[in-house]
Amino acid sequence: VSKRADLHPKGTSKTRAKTSPLARVQPLALFGSPVLLAGEDDDAYHELLSRVRTAINPVDIIDEMFIADVVSLEWEVLRWRRLKSNLMRAHGFRALKSFLITNLDYDQYRKYFADELTKILQNNLTEDLTEDGAQTLAQKCAGNDSNAVDKVNQILDRINLDMDSILNSAKARKAGELTHDYAQRKPPAIKLINKFLARTGSSIDAVMAKALAEELDNIERIDRLITIAETRRNAMLREIDRRRAVLSEALRRQVQEVEGEFEVVEKTQAEAKSAA
Amino acid sequence: VTSKHKIRANRANAQASTGPKTARGRLHAARNALRHALSLPVYSDPVSSEEVEALAREIIGTDANPEMQELARRIAEAQIDLRRVRHARHQILSQPLSDPDYESEVMLRKKSTLILHCLRRLDPSAPMPDIVMEFLSSKPQGPYKFATILADKTRQLLALDRYERRALSRRKFAIRAFDAAGRRKLTSRMN
Repeated sequence: VSKRADLHPKGTSKTRAKTSPLARVQPLALFGSPVLLAGEDDDAYHELLSRVRTAINPVDIIDEMFIADVVSLEWEVLRWRRLKSNLMRAHGFRALKSFLITNLDYDQYRKYFADELTKILQNNLTEDLTEDGAQTLAQKCAGNDSNAVDKVNQILDRINLDMDSILNSAKARKAGELTHDYAQRKPPAIKLINKFLARTGSSIDAVMAKALAEELDNIERIDRLITIAETRRNAMLREIDRRRAVLSEALRRQVQEVEGEFEVVEKTQAEAKSAA
Repeated sequence: VTSKHKIRANRANAQASTGPKTARGRLHAARNALRHALSLPVYSDPVSSEEVEALAREIIGTDANPEMQELARRIAEAQIDLRRVRHARHQILSQPLSDPDYESEVMLRKKSTLILHCLRRLDPSAPMPDIVMEFLSSKPQGPYKFATILADKTRQLLALDRYERRALSRRKFAIRAFDAAGRRKLTSRMN
């Protein structure tokens, strides 16, 4: 049975049943409709069903039952594997983002800080602060001008905000952007992140492993589901084998019986010849 | 030998400790079997029993042998049971997955605690900090949502897994018995 990734999620599928030479096979209504979840590709499911059906070549309705089960269980195995890999990937990138938040240099997110601060100041203008003035003040504050920092702190106090929360928010934004670029394998992001990792004596594998440890409960749960589905699928295949063995034994007996009858016919012919 | 007095006392005690007492408890217990109805035999539902008969006819074909018919019915019964279990399991996963606002109970509790904390500590007229708002409006997405649902529904899924295992086992032995009977019939015909 093919385990191609494109057999599964909708949208990422490159090869669809339309291009497949195999006919779309509907399982019997009495076996129930395919157990697909939202976003799963119905065509890919039927392509898998066609392939398994062609490979097994059912002889009766009981074989059809087993085929429906094999396909449904194989689909589940693919579903859980996909979920596991997506979860690990997503959590790995989340861990990378956290790592960056704690290790980013101020220079990396200074521009984001200035932008956010400008927005906040412009939303809270006073008599002596115009829109342009707010922007200049934010830029000066981001450049560590002590007078500007004091003035900004006063304004922020008045509106129940503090500098740290704005800095953290800017840092998180930059970290998120860098992680996104890293996931898309953009060379500048890769270079920068590798620099941070090297500086802290860490590696991307260490970050990912830490993330994996945090998701261990979920991963174990998914692994268990994969094992159950695989075990049941294999049991179905064994049952098909067992039935085939029984069928072939019955066929062998029938052939022996036919051969026996054929011998009788030959003898009769020989007897007829000798009689002649 | 247990004395009559002891037997009477045991029976009285057993009567006193059987089943829920309160009206709410009784109502809850009365609905236990109706949650997914999987413990009920397929023949208790007229639609399912018709499906069992239809499937049994498909399995047996034109064979009118009563033994074979009974064995085919056993296979069909297990198969329809299996279908019911799988449908119930599918519902458990698909309903929360298609709910765009799905949130786990653990996370809802965390969010309520945070709101209470902010209300106590912050000025009520001040806007909530962005980071708090971001957390409050966040919802599990993509693989996290699926993983959260799996974590939340583990108990229910395990319960259904037991039903599925039993139905699969019943079907396997029913098919083996059906095949063996078919073989016996063939052998006797050949002899």
